Order: sequence, then structure tokens, then C-alpha cells
Amino acid sequence: MSYLIAVASSDGSNVDLTFGEAEFFRIYEVEGTEYHEKEVRQVPAAEESDAAADQSSGEGKGCDSAGAGGCGNGSGSGCGNGNGGGCGGPRGHSVKVELIADCRSIVCKKIGFQATKQLEKKAIAGFDVNCGVDEALTKISAYYNKIDNHQSLRRE
Amino acid sequence: MAKLLDKQRYKCALGAMQTVQAIDRAIPVLHSGPGCAQKLSDSNGSSGYFSPNIFPCTSINEKDVVFGGVKKLHSTIDNALKVIDADLYVVLTGCIPEIVGDDTGEVVSEFADAEKPVIYAPTAGFKGNNYKGHEQVIDAIIDQYLKKSDEKEEGLVNVWADVPYQDLYWNGNFNEIEKLLKEIGLKPNIIFGYKKGIENINKIPKAQFNLLISPWVSVKNVKKMEKKLGIPYLHYKNLPVGAFETSKFLREVGEFAGLDKEKVESVITEHENYYYYLIERFADLFLENRVINKQFTVVGDAQYTLAITKFLTNDLGLIPAKQFITDDTPKEFRDDIAAEFKKLNYGIEAEAVFETDGYKIHEQIREHDYHGYPLILGGYYERELTEELKGNFLNVTWPVRDKIVLDDFIAGYTGGIRLIEDIYTVASQRFN
Repeated sequence: MSYLIAVASSDGSNVDLTFGEAEFFRIYEVEGTEYHEKEVRQVPAAEESDAAADQSSGEGKGCDSAGAGGCGNGSGSGCGNGNGGGCGGPRGHSVKVELIADCRSIVCKKIGFQATKQLEKKAIAGFDVNCGVDEALTKISAYYNKIDNHQSLRRE
Repeated sequence: MAKLLDKQRYKCALGAMQTVQAIDRAIPVLHSGPGCAQKLSDSNGSSGYFSPNIFPCTSINEKDVVFGGVKKLHSTIDNALKVIDADLYVVLTGCIPEIVGDDTGEVVSEFADAEKPVIYAPTAGFKGNNYKGHEQVIDAIIDQYLKKSDEKEEGLVNVWADVPYQDLYWNGNFNEIEKLLKEIGLKPNIIFGYKKGIENINKIPKAQFNLLISPWVSVKNVKKMEKKLGIPYLHYKNLPVGAFETSKFLREVGEFAGLDKEKVESVITEHENYYYYLIERFADLFLENRVINKQFTVVGDAQYTLAITKFLTNDLGLIPAKQFITDDTPKEFRDDIAAEFKKLNYGIEAEAVFETDGYKIHEQIREHDYHGYPLILGGYYERELTEELKGNFLNVTWPVRDKIVLDDFIAGYTGGIRLIEDIYTVASQRFN
């Protein structure tokens, strides 16, 4: 069965963006050890992202609608309350996580602590690497292929 | 088929980090997942200058499985050398890097020019338990650090015995053996414990011979040293506990080392006189208590089960029931070790059972007719069972929860006396 991998790359050949600075993700579809670029997903702009956060919130409440202050106002709806929306660390992380929620993993130059935690909640494996897109995808697809087929993880 | 091991009595090979920790100012650098050191550490004297909580660790995760963990290992060793003041850095690999095939040896070889020695030992859990891991660490020292020496020091003898931390009494036992060997005129060289460390490791190649006191652990190491460093060895199979075995031990070592017989005998006589003076004074107590424990069982590793069985039979005159060896002894040593249990005084023979499964051990203890209340010396797991059987219990083998041992010991003459004290303390508490 095929699955998706999101990659933060400005040019499509190098993994050169951090999770935070990425404005779009390249989505690759992987089947076995074969992969191809399927689409590019744009991260919604700031206003839109607030709306998206509200929508995705399980309790129907984002930070901004929870009271006067938003993040860090001590209202109990601040960072990391796990309601699926909210601020979730630096604004936009949760939006980005939502955006790639259907992917199996995400490849970036660097992924921060908050983002990693949010990705873990969605069972998305975060790989922060410093290499080419092809190298990363080859290695990751080989890894998943072995796991899915119950093969030894020993690298050749 | 996969099976569950009930009440296991050892850890994975990475448990050898405790062997490294027992070498003064040596630090393990772990190439393993986060949490291994925490899980493997006992709170039995493992704090101090270096403790498992500060062991440098690569804390490898999924990313390192996919992309390789060697870069992380390199930087971890590099930084450990910068921030930790140690004499010896021993890189230990856990399961994950061994499964995926990180070339630890190559990374470590890049530190050949470092100011301090860096060596590595493969200690993946699937390669064996911590007894094997202990051997791997010593092998690493021999292979990667020691060099053959033409210069030999008369009387210098390397002593190898207990597996540190796995054996509760390791520190005290080493000290006592050291003391006895000094008395008969040898210069014992031990690498584990207080003020031993790298200086003693450096002395290893100059030794006249290796003295191994263990049924099977480290046999591989002394053979390697014989081959690589040209050091002959004396393999003494049981840890001497009590007068009978200790005297026999000193005579055999004295003969092997070519020591003056009279001197050895005078040391033996002096110790035995005091030993039997103590025994005589308490003979009435032993005789009265004989009625409560006709038979005994020891549950522990080969080292302790053999040592204590010999002591209780030869010195205290108790009768052995089945004895259980729980360290997953390699098959090639089993017949030999079982034969040792047949060589007891007064023509008494004991049956040694090699069994790692606690459930099966307990079943066999329950089934055995002890002709009264049993005396059981074993791990903490046997406590409840012994209570159920209304027997007397002493916790001497891993895991230990009943006892705090700083430098107590069971080896030698005094060690035998200490063990008698412990056993009869338990027995006498019943009547009070």
C-alpha cells in the first residue's frame, strides 16, 4: 500500500528548510521503495491559519477565542493542552501538523521540540536530516519497506 | 517459539557498563537508546564520581536507524573526551546499533590518537547476558589496550573473580582475596575497586600468572591473555568460602606460584586456628539449630551456588538438596561444573540444575522433601517461597533487596564466618 512523505525543501533537491520556516511541503507518494512527487501543499497564511486552527480544534476553541489574551494567558487553553488546536508552541505548528496529518513521516532540516511532540501525537515520524531529498527518501522508503515486510533492519 | 522468562537473574550484555564502572575512573560511553543505562543500573552502590545517570549516551532513535548513528557516536565520544575527566573510555554498543550495523569499531579507531584511551566492546543484548558482557569488556581491554611485556614482575598475579555489581559482595570479596594472597607472599593485581583502575590495568602484562577464581566467567579472557600476552593461568573453579576451601585454595595457588610451602602453611594455620576458635565457641548453637534445617538449596549464578554449596557441606556439615544455577552457563562448561558438585567431603554429592526460569526452580523446590524446613540462599524471588515453606531464607544472590552491602564479603576465612553469622541470625530470629 502506498503512503505519503512530506519534505521541507525549497528546490526539491535538498532538504534545506526547517519545519518552522517551511511555507510549503512537497508531498511524495511512496510505493515499496519507489517514490514520486505527488503535490505541493501550501501552508495557509496567518489569518487563514487561525481559522484552520479553530476548525481543527476538538473543543471548538482555539487560543484566540478562549479569552482575551491567547497564548500564555493562563486560561487553561494555552500551549500544549492537546485539544488539537490552540497555539501549540509557535503559532502555526498545529496548522502544519494538520496539513500533513495523512503523511507517514516528515523530513526537514530541523524540527523543534514542540513540533516533534505534536507530530508524535499524530504518529508522524519526524526526521531532521542534512542531506539531499533523494538520499532521504531512498533511505526512509527502504526502512519502511523492511519494517512493513518484517525484514531485518541491517543496512547493506 | 518465543517464551517468557520468569524471574530472570541477569541483565543484557550492556549490563557490562557496571563492569566498567567498577574500574576506578573508567567511564562507559553508551551507543544505545535512551534509558538503557537507567534500566540497567542497580541502586546498589552505583552512585559516585560517575553514575549511570551521567554516562554519555548517543540516545539513538528512529532517525539513526534510518540514517545511521555513527556521526552521533563520533560527536558523543568527542565531547565525552572534552567534558569528562576519566582515565579510560569504554564504548559499549546496545542492541539497536548492532542490529542496523553501525561500524562502532571504525568510529572508535578514529580516536586512536586521543590523549586518553578509547576502546569499545560489542554488548548487544541479543549476544548474551551481562556475564558475557563482562567478558567482552575484559576482552576489549586485552585486544585494544594491552600490549605484551617482556618484563615480568616476580610474584605479580592478576586476579579475576566476581562480576562487579551482579555480585553483591564483589568489592569485599576482591579485598579479602587480595589480603590473603598478600599474606602468602604474592602481589595481587586487581582492576576492580578502590584505587585500582588504570594503573593496575597497565600492570596486567607484567604478571607472572593470571589467577581466575570462577567456574566459567572469564575463562575466555585468561585464555586470550595466555595467547596474546603470554601469561599462563591458574583456573580455580570455586570461590573459596570458609576454612576448608580457603586452605585448599591457598595451597593450590602457593604450589602453582612456587611459593615456600612452610610460609603458606603457617598462614593457613594461623587463620584456621582463629576460625575454629570461633566455631567452637558457637558449636552448641549450631548443633541446636541443626534440627531446623536438615537440607539446603542455593539459587544463584555458578560462582555462588558452587561456593556456598561447598561451604555449607564441607564446613557446616549441612546436606545439599538440589542446587540451582541461574546464569545461563554456556553448555560447554556445564558437565564440568556439575562434576564439581559431586566433589564434596564425606562422600556427599549434590545435584546441580541449570535453570534460568524462576517458575521451574520454585516448582522443583516445592516438590522436594527437605525433611523439615528448608534453608534457602538465593535471590529476592525466593523470599516469598521460603516463607510459604516456613524455611529460613538469606538473600545473597542477585536480585538483592534484603541487604545493603558496602564492603562485606563471603570469600576466605572471615567471609565464611560472616556468612555463618548471617545464616544463624536468620535462624535465631525465628525463636525470638
